[in-house]
Amino acid sequence: MKISASAAVVAPRERLFEALNNGDVLQRCIPGCEELTAEGSDTYRVRLKLGVAGLTGQYAGKVTYQHLQPPESFTLAFEGKGKTGFVRGTAAVRIADDQGTARVDCDADVQVGGAIAAVGSRLMAAVARKLTQDFFRCVAREIGADPDAASAADAAGQGPLDRG
Amino acid sequence: MYPAPFEYHRPATLDETIALLVQHGDEAKLLAGGHSLIPAMKLRLAVPRFIVDIGRVADLSYIRERGDGFAIGAMTTHYAVESSRMLRERCPLLPETAAHIGDVQVRNRGTIGGSLAHADPASDWPAAILALDAELEIAGPKGRRTVRAEAFFVDLLQTALASDEVLCEIRVPASSRSVAYEKTEQKASGFALAGVAVVVGNLGEVRVGITGVGPKAYRANAVESALRGQAAPTAEAIARAARHAANGVDALGDIHATPEFRVHLAEINTQRALTRAFNAR
Repeated sequence: MKISASAAVVAPRERLFEALNNGDVLQRCIPGCEELTAEGSDTYRVRLKLGVAGLTGQYAGKVTYQHLQPPESFTLAFEGKGKTGFVRGTAAVRIADDQGTARVDCDADVQVGGAIAAVGSRLMAAVARKLTQDFFRCVAREIGADPDAASAADAAGQGPLDRG
Repeated sequence: MYPAPFEYHRPATLDETIALLVQHGDEAKLLAGGHSLIPAMKLRLAVPRFIVDIGRVADLSYIRERGDGFAIGAMTTHYAVESSRMLRERCPLLPETAAHIGDVQVRNRGTIGGSLAHADPASDWPAAILALDAELEIAGPKGRRTVRAEAFFVDLLQTALASDEVLCEIRVPASSRSVAYEKTEQKASGFALAGVAVVVGNLGEVRVGITGVGPKAYRANAVESALRGQAAPTAEAIARAARHAANGVDALGDIHATPEFRVHLAEINTQRALTRAFNAR
């Protein structure tokens, strides 16, 4: 499943880059993050209660930052396991400067296995997009930018079979 | 797939139901018709620790006249709405919408309240409920409150219901026959890629509710205002107004339809629904 998301945050991109690499910010902003512990300099272990409304599952996993190019780009490699299946993938994050507004583009390639993948979820792309929006709004608040000016859009998910 | 283990409760009254919800908070889920919750549990997309089955709670399934409209119990099945002679004659949008939901099995078990409380972004009821400007009665530990349809849908799968509240009743005004529901559905599931409900009032005032396009169903205010003051708009005026069907909406995209396609379908179905509703005047 490919998920792409974009967000604009009214702040210098250095600050956004820093926030996106700050464990404390991540812990506060990753939706449903119950625990985040650093493991070495570029890896975090996370425990998440992930989902929207009643559709929620618990996941435990690992996130690794790769190819750090401050303040322009980095890659996230992530893997997680929960009762509903597993998720792993990579996300390429690019931050462009547009006259004082930092624009983030995130392209993720996510593999999903287990029960979720067996049937797919009609709602998965919508849920992923909402969680991404929540995350960027929170990061914008953290760095003192107007959260309403942060916007995310365009998560085009391509799931496997859909049984509604 | 089997669901994860859960504890099952079957209260007999609304008070018992609310007490269970207060006790278990967001670890509890209400089971109504079960046609969204049970599949989600079998996929373990939902893993509630407590199931509160309200299938035996007295007096939640009815269609009654109330004032100049109707009160519908939250546990009323889609089929009961679809087949109600009273509603067909005096609030025809509801039976028309019900006939679009899922398949026969779903309509015989699924309930109007369960569907609204789940707030699936592609479910049919929200469009009709918004176009009728319905009121939703909610019971909770502090008593009852009433919420307008527009305030009920908050976000993707999220409503104005708190975790200790129960949707009890849906109240709609009677209407003329100047209504329509036009939908393009995903063929396998029957869920709406774009569903548009229109109600034209006696003075030509229009209300438009749209589902399937954004993270939540919405009133198409820009379409309504484009037609304000026109008791009998021309086909061109309707087509122009319909172009505002998805104004300001962050359209969803998935394997079945891109955001652009959903917006296009919203506009087309708005044009069709408006045309049919105005022609029925």
